[in-house]
Amino acid sequence: MRKVNTILKVSTLVVPLCIALFGLCLLLSKKDMFGEFTKGAASGMKTAVRLAPTLVALMCAISMFNASGAAEYIANMLSPVCKKIGLPSGIVPFVVVRPLSGGASTALISDIFEKYGPDSFVGRCTSLIAGSSDTLLYIISVYFGAVGVKKTGGTLPIALITMFFCVFFASFLCRIFF
Amino acid sequence: MIGKICGFIIVLSFIFAIITGNVSALSDAIYKGADSAINLSLSLMGMMCLWNGLMQVAQSSGAIDKATRFMSPVLRFLFPDAYKKNNGMGEIAASMSANIFGIGNGATPLAIKAMEKLQENNSGGERASNDMIMFTVLGTASLDIFPTTLVALRRAAGSANPFEIIIPVWICSFVTAVLAVLLVKIVCSFRK
Repeated sequence: MRKVNTILKVSTLVVPLCIALFGLCLLLSKKDMFGEFTKGAASGMKTAVRLAPTLVALMCAISMFNASGAAEYIANMLSPVCKKIGLPSGIVPFVVVRPLSGGASTALISDIFEKYGPDSFVGRCTSLIAGSSDTLLYIISVYFGAVGVKKTGGTLPIALITMFFCVFFASFLCRIFF
Repeated sequence: MIGKICGFIIVLSFIFAIITGNVSALSDAIYKGADSAINLSLSLMGMMCLWNGLMQVAQSSGAIDKATRFMSPVLRFLFPDAYKKNNGMGEIAASMSANIFGIGNGATPLAIKAMEKLQENNSGGERASNDMIMFTVLGTASLDIFPTTLVALRRAAGSANPFEIIIPVWICSFVTAVLAVLLVKIVCSFRK
């Protein structure tokens, strides 16, 4: 417990430490490091601009999906199926939204914690899934959108299969650990 | 691919909104979506400038080369093309360490930088290279060692032990990532 607390404290130090090292570099290096920084920063600016149109389309679609009631309907439809294969039905809305939106899935996590408690089976399952999966649709669109690649090969199906596996494995681990 | 998915989600949402009578919520959501996309782009822009600038500094000071050499046995297996062409390994190493240390918004700009390098190796084609698929799939497998947001949420909800999930999360992430790598390697062996 104490140890983990220290680890978390150290992890909040990582970013400030990077910047501090940068400061040292500015002070000590003989090369024009500030010039290097601005050169890199300018290229970051260009990438961000190139990315915005992809994000507008994607986030409109996701926001519509949540507001239209489609997300809820699909979650309701899937929950009896989940019960049959041994997954708690409480996690279904979260699992449906998880690949799409980070903000909405965070909202659903605290919703589940409130409803079932963070130390319940559902709460722990949700924690494990949240800790080992990510907003895959967003990531895939951003990574490939930024470089203009349209044919993404097997990326999406592989990411989805991995995520499904993650959901099952998380509930399996919960049964073993707690 | 992403275009098709976007289209599918939009049409499905529209039909649902009509059936359930959520049309006014839907038009709100459209504006909100566009709004938050630009907000996100702006906050990404700041982070992109910062991390791209720092990357450039790390590169010219030689720090990236050292980190890459350290990770190179793993990277060589995961990204054979980038390794062979000796282009992009540093960016991949930086982005993966950012993911592992969970610097959140810092990871995306570094990942995009790595994708740009991989796209150079791909000679700017429209078709994803094997390295790109591997890199993106690993990006969707959360490699974060310190799930800070999750622990904060658990603590806020009054968990008796907010940290108890960390070790199972590591196991789950690791096994999922191994599966992801295997799947990518299998799928890529059928491509050409």
